[in-house]
Amino acid sequence: MASGLNALRSALPVAAALLALLLLWQFGTTALDVPAYILPKPAEILATALGRIGFFGGELYVTLVEAVGGFLIGSVLGILLAVAMILLPVLEVMLMPLAMVINAVPSIAFVPLVLLWFGLGMSSKIAIGALAVVFVVLLNLLSGLKRPEAESINLLRSFGASRLGILWRLQLPAGMPALVTGLRVGLARSTIAVIVAEMMGAYSGIGQVIYQATAQVDSLTVWAAVFVASLGSLALYGVLVALDRKLVWWR
Amino acid sequence: MADLAQAQAGATMPGQPYMELVNVWKRFGEGDKQTVAVRNVDLAIQPGEFVTLIGPSGCGKSTLFNMIAGLLPSDSDGSILVKGKAQQDGALLGKVSFMPQRDLLFPWRTVLDNATLALEVEGMPKRLARQKAEALFPEFGLKGFEQHYPHQLSGGMRQRVALMRTFLFERDLILLDEPFGALDALTRSMMQRWLLDIWEKHRRTVLFITHDIDEAIFLGDKVVVMTARPGTIKCQETITLPRPRDVSVVTTPEFMEVKKKLLAVVEEESLKTFASATMRP
Repeated sequence: MASGLNALRSALPVAAALLALLLLWQFGTTALDVPAYILPKPAEILATALGRIGFFGGELYVTLVEAVGGFLIGSVLGILLAVAMILLPVLEVMLMPLAMVINAVPSIAFVPLVLLWFGLGMSSKIAIGALAVVFVVLLNLLSGLKRPEAESINLLRSFGASRLGILWRLQLPAGMPALVTGLRVGLARSTIAVIVAEMMGAYSGIGQVIYQATAQVDSLTVWAAVFVASLGSLALYGVLVALDRKLVWWR
Repeated sequence: MADLAQAQAGATMPGQPYMELVNVWKRFGEGDKQTVAVRNVDLAIQPGEFVTLIGPSGCGKSTLFNMIAGLLPSDSDGSILVKGKAQQDGALLGKVSFMPQRDLLFPWRTVLDNATLALEVEGMPKRLARQKAEALFPEFGLKGFEQHYPHQLSGGMRQRVALMRTFLFERDLILLDEPFGALDALTRSMMQRWLLDIWEKHRRTVLFITHDIDEAIFLGDKVVVMTARPGTIKCQETITLPRPRDVSVVTTPEFMEVKKKLLAVVEEESLKTFASATMRP
């Protein structure tokens, strides 16, 4: 109850700022008579989005499934790799340079290749989403798993704990805050990668809608799609904040 | 708990020490860069005995402790025996109840679950471990704090949780590495008396590191003094002060006499440490 009230109180200034921006936008474009193809009015964008809600909803659904799918696969891979590297340090020595090299290139650069390998459907977007997530989760979790000091590890050893016991009781919980950071950055990255990949070649999805509408100089649809996409990302972000509270409950 | 300690202590031969260190060494590094942390340590700890160990800072006390806990192998010239049996590398892990200097409580565990950590590692079901720990809460002055998190506790309370965690790991020998070092003087003296109460009730063998002479005499059956680095045992003093002891014991002539004697030895060693530190080019 109290936390709900607090959440409302902290959300209020954000909502007020957003509303002010929309009002300024609405009246600014009207007063200055800005043509719609340069910057449409927010009321029109909203009307377009709501008018074709079924269409936008369906496209957003495709994008979200791809982004979340890629995020889940990439996260699981990243977590498994980090755990494997902690248990077998030689793996880190062998694989980390390769990971760094792949990570140094923006994942978007791999889109043409991935389209070639996985086709224009959803699987190529999921693959690119996973690629965008895996290294950020791996690097963050690995640094988190290494955080506990030798003293704490020794304490568990003195109780007779095994390597896995130390991982489970000490390193994993201690690594949770870093993992959550990795997941948060990863989710944003996978959403971006998926939308850009859709713009470069897809049958459906918000990115493809933006691409086609741009080609037809239909700026209202472009803006409506951007608006819908940002709502979708906001919802995903909310899920992650909840996950943060679940994984790092002791703060 | 007391039964277990007695039963296991009873398994040793009469007069046989629970643990024996024979010519224990620890050197770090090779050749010219080699430093000797611990040299030629001989020490016997009787079952149920409370042994305190003092020495200047950096004398290798903690290195010695880590070897006794099995965390660090001792050099091959000497050996550590438990009930007369030599302990090979790592054999001591899980056999000694070890409490490091810092409380090392896990921030994501409640006080209760921090206390049960060792029991969980041993494979005891969570429910049972919690039941067992809960019974100790009043005795450790932590009743009502079971569901708190460590950051909500004072330093003295955190230290008691760490002690409870150590106690619940029921081993014959308890190693305590300056457990009260970080506490203020008042809390410290309260904790000392409280520890003696607990010890008298449970009668486990204790090896307690400190750099406070009063603490060493007040708590111990035997005070062991270490030399400056490389650390070895300079002398041992049996404390015959009657138990149970309370604060007034600190002002008795007997106490003063032992303190004077030990102070002279410790002072000498501290000066050596100080001199070698300041004269280093």
